[in-house]
Amino acid sequence: MAKKPARPETLPDRWAARAPERQLLLWVLFAIGVGFLMVLGALPKDGIAVRGLDLLPPLGFGLAFFAVHLAFVGVGFRGDQLLLALVAFIAGVGLLAQFRMGVYAGRSLGLSHLVLPLGVTALTLVVAALMDGRYRLLASGLWVWALLSLGIVVFVLATGQRFRGAVYGSGFITPTEGLKLSVVLFAAAFIDHHAKALARWRGPIPFPRVRPLWQLALFAVLLLGLLMVQRDLGLVLILSLTMLLMLAAGTKRIGFLVYGALAAGAAGYAVLQFFSHGQRRVASWLDPFQDPTGAGWQVLQGLSGMYAGGLWGEGFSQARPRYTPIAESDFVYAVVAEELGFIGSALLLVFFALLCWRLMLIASRAKSPFGMLAATGIACVFTVQTLLNVGGVAKAIPITGVTLPFISQGGSSLLVTCIAIGLVLAISDGEPKPVRKKANAKRTAS
Amino acid sequence: MELLNTLFQSAPWGALRIGLHAVFLLAAAYVLKQMLDLRAVVGLKHLAKPRAGFALAGLVMAVAFLGVLAYQATWQLSGTARPEFIAFMQLHDRRQFNPAHWIDRGRILDASGTVLAETRAEQTPDGLAARRVYPFGADFAHVVGYADPRFGASGVEGSANIDLNGGKPGSLKEWGELTRQLITQAKRHKGNDVVLTLDAAMQRLAMERLGERAGAVVVLRPQDGAVRVMASTPSFDPNRIDANMFLRADPRARLLNRATAGLYPPGSTFKVVIAADALDRGFSGRIDCPADGWTTSGRYRKIRDHEYYEARRAGRSWRGHGRIGLGTALAESSNVFFAQLGVYLGHDAFTGTTQRFLFNGRITIGAGQTRQQYMRTGRIPRIPSSDRYGLAQASIGQGKVLVTPAQMALVAAAIANDGVAVQPRLVVRDQPVAAGRFMRSGTAGQLRGMMRRAVTAGTGRGIETPGLAIAGKTGTAENPFGASHSWFIGFAPADRPALAFAVLVEHGGYGSTVAAPIARDLLILARERGHLR
Repeated sequence: MAKKPARPETLPDRWAARAPERQLLLWVLFAIGVGFLMVLGALPKDGIAVRGLDLLPPLGFGLAFFAVHLAFVGVGFRGDQLLLALVAFIAGVGLLAQFRMGVYAGRSLGLSHLVLPLGVTALTLVVAALMDGRYRLLASGLWVWALLSLGIVVFVLATGQRFRGAVYGSGFITPTEGLKLSVVLFAAAFIDHHAKALARWRGPIPFPRVRPLWQLALFAVLLLGLLMVQRDLGLVLILSLTMLLMLAAGTKRIGFLVYGALAAGAAGYAVLQFFSHGQRRVASWLDPFQDPTGAGWQVLQGLSGMYAGGLWGEGFSQARPRYTPIAESDFVYAVVAEELGFIGSALLLVFFALLCWRLMLIASRAKSPFGMLAATGIACVFTVQTLLNVGGVAKAIPITGVTLPFISQGGSSLLVTCIAIGLVLAISDGEPKPVRKKANAKRTAS
Repeated sequence: MELLNTLFQSAPWGALRIGLHAVFLLAAAYVLKQMLDLRAVVGLKHLAKPRAGFALAGLVMAVAFLGVLAYQATWQLSGTARPEFIAFMQLHDRRQFNPAHWIDRGRILDASGTVLAETRAEQTPDGLAARRVYPFGADFAHVVGYADPRFGASGVEGSANIDLNGGKPGSLKEWGELTRQLITQAKRHKGNDVVLTLDAAMQRLAMERLGERAGAVVVLRPQDGAVRVMASTPSFDPNRIDANMFLRADPRARLLNRATAGLYPPGSTFKVVIAADALDRGFSGRIDCPADGWTTSGRYRKIRDHEYYEARRAGRSWRGHGRIGLGTALAESSNVFFAQLGVYLGHDAFTGTTQRFLFNGRITIGAGQTRQQYMRTGRIPRIPSSDRYGLAQASIGQGKVLVTPAQMALVAAAIANDGVAVQPRLVVRDQPVAAGRFMRSGTAGQLRGMMRRAVTAGTGRGIETPGLAIAGKTGTAENPFGASHSWFIGFAPADRPALAFAVLVEHGGYGSTVAAPIARDLLILARERGHLR
């Protein structure tokens, strides 16, 4: 293997180094542009004239992503080149779906116009700040992340308002979205710090030792318990699975997953026993036709739309996804499947799967253990969240009420996801110099 | 902007849009292909070698995505294999372009083939659309029901829904054919017709005779439960359903099927139920019925006969019935007799009777694959054993006793059918099912004679018609909301009954002058149409 050069020095070199990203990004922007033409073209059909303001979201979208690319070139970023295009496509489809559902129908420039550019800016800033190995500084904030996580949950419990079975902060901001990042960072830092002790199991039946684990366990029980009080079962599922996978990845002990699965089974059973909320969801999942106009209504309307869309779909803005309740947030996947058909939704899922795979790849190749753990956590959150949402809409699993990353409406969710992707990108930039010279040399030789 | 708007409204935009749709999907696919091509260039060579275990995680992730997608396909692409799903979409999906609406839903016919509901293709601004048409409008609105993508389905449209859509495809070939027809829209898939036991002519006469008044008519064959008439007024036009009917509490309750779900005090018609129990227990005595009436305790108002009030109104005096037997009491509809009889039989007997006659329940009248159509029977709460006056009131069909017209028709049918009640059924193909034995065979025979006498020489003599041999029982049920409800239940011909019926007119007044003539007119038509042979 040839010795990889360090960072490209001159601007033309940097420009050339990121040519693949540019090429992919331009094609993605072209596809989204075509999609936008379709969405705009459907407006006059409903008696709405296209206004100049309507061109703002797609232009803002295109400029924002190209600006990220230029920023990457500018700072000589050498991280992954696929992620940006993947994110751009998924976010673009999200923008189309949101536009189509009338999020941008307001008369003037609104907050909704700023959400995506803000998120992309945050992504860029995170990359610029944490690249070149600087992300490892985050590991030193171990207890900051723990306190932040618990603080968020307690804050929401104390001040939140209940809406559609979930708890929101003021102004319908969902601060709990932040947990997806803070919990991952805490767990990564903690496991990184105690990796050896955590990996040392003993006993005739292998069992993890309590001593190094208890702080993490207490944190998890407190956090998940409080989330359970808020009835945010989806988030509980995402976070508990993420922490378990991170433990397994950090210690190479598959046993964590086995014990985790046992605990999750017991906890799930208990939850179904005591929470009628969850029971109803399972019942309406098993047989939505039991109460088609009540509990089964939303999922059946979503499926009806998909069925109506068929293989190819009716085309963007040709269908009537409004008939599915709250289609713009949790059920946005049904909108895509209805308007773009099975082919379109399968394409979108391929993009999602590629993004998940890329995140995992970066995790598996990160040089520092902390980077590996953080990227694992983010990849896991992203994958589980996507699968929970899409599976719920397709009725493969019960509805858990989680959003579809980048596509569902919601500023908090988008912002946190952008920051998380930025962090993984920063990790993919590698280290300023080899972490352990000897190990690296050995690997090069072999 | 102008240019864009003009373009979007121009004629070629339609074709262009489909082109753009294809370009969008192709561009997305092309991005994927490029990623495949560039995989060597964008390999993360400056990072470490992949760690073990992550490939497995990636595989699990890919399998999960594939699984979700495959399951999604079973709905999105082969939803036709799920008849409940197709039925749901037909009834609850407002998307006009949904292929489920393309199914040519079967017709609903009456026993002689008259179309009561059919689907017609209509030209709309959005293209060809299927519309459900009910030729007789409001006349069959409750029993046939409606099927509407916005408001769902009711009546037979609801219970026979899956059959009307063509049922469940039996074989893989059938299923493939259905899918092909739906996707290509080459041919409209034809559902099955459903033939009802109803007689459209009689139903329409019943609706006409009820007219503006609220009420219900049920006519059925005692031997096999085939329902000839199930009418309820006021009704609505199922061709023009509007949301207001559902949103606002309609003071006239037009959506309510009064025949199967309206609860009314049965008044004197309930006396046949008490009489049946008494005869079952071998009662054959006489009871003294003073003209001044009778009560269980001095604290309560006396229960008196209608002759007493008529005489008082006319300023005459009335001698009373004196000591009479069950036959005379039923023919003259003596309240004083039945109040005493009910109390004599006792609370336990009354409770047992209401159970045997299936009050406080519901009976299936149309069985579908996923949904059923029911009739309520009534609501008779248990009377505390300390409440003797309540029992006396209940024995003359007043107080807390509430019944549906369909149940009273079923009571008459049981008397006509030697004591056995057969479940009313609306669909010809359904097999007759016994609902239960309401009384002994001998009791039914005796009651048939007594009810015939009520028409020849009793309260129903006004409708005696040569050759019809109507047997029946009138009812004039007091209620707290206004004038008395007018009832008439019975069967004809008395010696070998071919039809049993119940007629109710809300606040109609006397049963003998309002409800009974409607029954007579229906029976005359029934004879013309050959239903009395």
